[in-house]
Amino acid sequence: MSEEKKKSKETAGKKTGKKLDRRDFLQGLATVPALGVFGYALKKDMDFKKNQKQAKLGKPAPASKLSELNVALLGVGAQGEVLLNAMLKIPNLRFRAVCDIWTEYNQKKTVRMLKKYKYDVNGYEDYREMLDKEKDLDAVIIATPDFWHSQHAVDCMKAGINVYSEKEMSNTLEGAKKMVETARETGKLLQIGHQRRSHPRYIHCYEHLLQEAKMLGRIVTVNGQWNRAAAPDLGFPKRYAMPADRLKKYGFKSMEQFRNWRWYKGLGGGPIVDLGSHQIDIYNWYLNARPKSVMASGGTDYYSKSTHEWYDTVLAIYEYETEEGVARAYYKTQTTNSSQGYFENFMGDQGTLVLSESEAGNSGSVYRETSAPPWDEWVRKGYVTAPKVIMPGSEPNVVLDVRETISPDEHKVPVQLLDPYHKPHLENFFNTIRGTEKLNCPAEIGYETAVTVLKVNEAIEARRTLDFDPDEFEV
Amino acid sequence: MKDEKFNNLQMIALTIMRVVIGWHFLYEGIAKLMKPNWSAAGFLLQAKGIFAGIFKWMAGTPDVLAVVNQMNIWGLIAVGLGLMLGCFTRLSSLAGILLILLYYVCNPLFVGYYYSIPMEGNYMIVNKNLVELTALFVIMVTNSGKYAGFDLFIHKLLKK
Repeated sequence: MSEEKKKSKETAGKKTGKKLDRRDFLQGLATVPALGVFGYALKKDMDFKKNQKQAKLGKPAPASKLSELNVALLGVGAQGEVLLNAMLKIPNLRFRAVCDIWTEYNQKKTVRMLKKYKYDVNGYEDYREMLDKEKDLDAVIIATPDFWHSQHAVDCMKAGINVYSEKEMSNTLEGAKKMVETARETGKLLQIGHQRRSHPRYIHCYEHLLQEAKMLGRIVTVNGQWNRAAAPDLGFPKRYAMPADRLKKYGFKSMEQFRNWRWYKGLGGGPIVDLGSHQIDIYNWYLNARPKSVMASGGTDYYSKSTHEWYDTVLAIYEYETEEGVARAYYKTQTTNSSQGYFENFMGDQGTLVLSESEAGNSGSVYRETSAPPWDEWVRKGYVTAPKVIMPGSEPNVVLDVRETISPDEHKVPVQLLDPYHKPHLENFFNTIRGTEKLNCPAEIGYETAVTVLKVNEAIEARRTLDFDPDEFEV
Repeated sequence: MKDEKFNNLQMIALTIMRVVIGWHFLYEGIAKLMKPNWSAAGFLLQAKGIFAGIFKWMAGTPDVLAVVNQMNIWGLIAVGLGLMLGCFTRLSSLAGILLILLYYVCNPLFVGYYYSIPMEGNYMIVNKNLVELTALFVIMVTNSGKYAGFDLFIHKLLKK
């Protein structure tokens, strides 16, 4: 003890003036290994951050030179405008024609705008005239009311043009079936506008979180919703009203009906089709299954039944038979309150995934059940962010019951889409024409979703559970 | 200073503390260096208390802010390396103390100020900044760099 103490005193202080020996040398460098450990940790830390960043930005676009495509727009109302704004951000498209029966307003506005962008576009009222006169079109973008989709798409494909058709594919299954058959017969491409199928976040979650990592375990329940605020009917400037005979020629009774076609039977499908179809499409995709049955409740509870033939409020419950077992999924859409917006929520025995198309809310969160295997590997790979641990005691006055399960840690899905929502899906369509990609939502998938969703309206009317025949989904 | 008072174990403990604090400084500096657009402006703008005016002036004057940013980043890295390697330990400790003091007075935890109550833990006047500052004071006066660090060489070579 005393020996050691003496020694330590020596080493601690009494070195001044002595020569540097080996011991001094080692002691002087004693803390250098700590810097080595620091360097190693820093490297790991940087790799992790790089992975997270890469996941956020997605794959870089291929630098190859793209051929120019001639594009026509068929239907340039509100949705057509959304698609056009996305397309204006896609390089190597040449807009050639704009067709819209509302020549006084929609058509005039879009032609004028495209001319400002230096495109030499022709305006048409009747799509048949456009198909006759425009001979070198590569693609047509259809954003007309649902009841026109089938005829428009079929005639365009028969004219040798590839088609991007807004969803719902058609308001009837016969119409939708004809579209699938025509796509097969003509060999033309038909992309249906379920744009989440091309959304980098949705693809990331499906490929990495569900297929590869199986982070949710067995998915047992699914729910989703689209809550939309009450809104007045769409109006129109009186001086731009269409003459009655033109309205009649294209299947509308009045300007009011033309503007609000989504609410009318025989024209649209109501909110369950306009909104629900986007999200129920994700149920089928993520569960790798088609539903076995559906029950639903709905009605025109808020608006006037004379102008809102389709249901303003719908609750639907599906039963799925997935590879792992039964899964039940419910969906709600209502058009009287926008609180909590829209999302899809998948719940498995190991985790929960909540996501939506929006960057503003529900932009992708994953919650790990405390009993699930660790997710460190997926965090390291950048599939999800490091968890935000919810600290106990942040609510000082809450007394937790010991029997309560601790709420799971929240991980974020790091993938963002800073472009217009429809841009990736349109790009996928154009790149498939160029032969560099495959359609993310070909006619067959659009058909499956149409079968799944249109049955909800049937079930509401029938007031009972309706079964799906597995053959129903095939054409 | 009477170095004789410390035995080996005590010196090892002081060395570990020095390396750990150095690590923290070094990483704070490097993390800021790595963030492409890092700036102290956000931190300075939320300054509270008696010196708030000065800090906000710093944030609002681009030339001053640029200097503050660079000095902060490289100051943290230099102090971190100095402490970890035990090189100019006393000078590094003093510089570290001054830096932390600036952070502390920028957001002082004086009683009655409840704006900066942190997410974790409970603080009253004393926060982690102050604890680290005090630890640096101990390092400064005990000079463990002369025990295990480059200061050992410097000291010996100068004394020769």
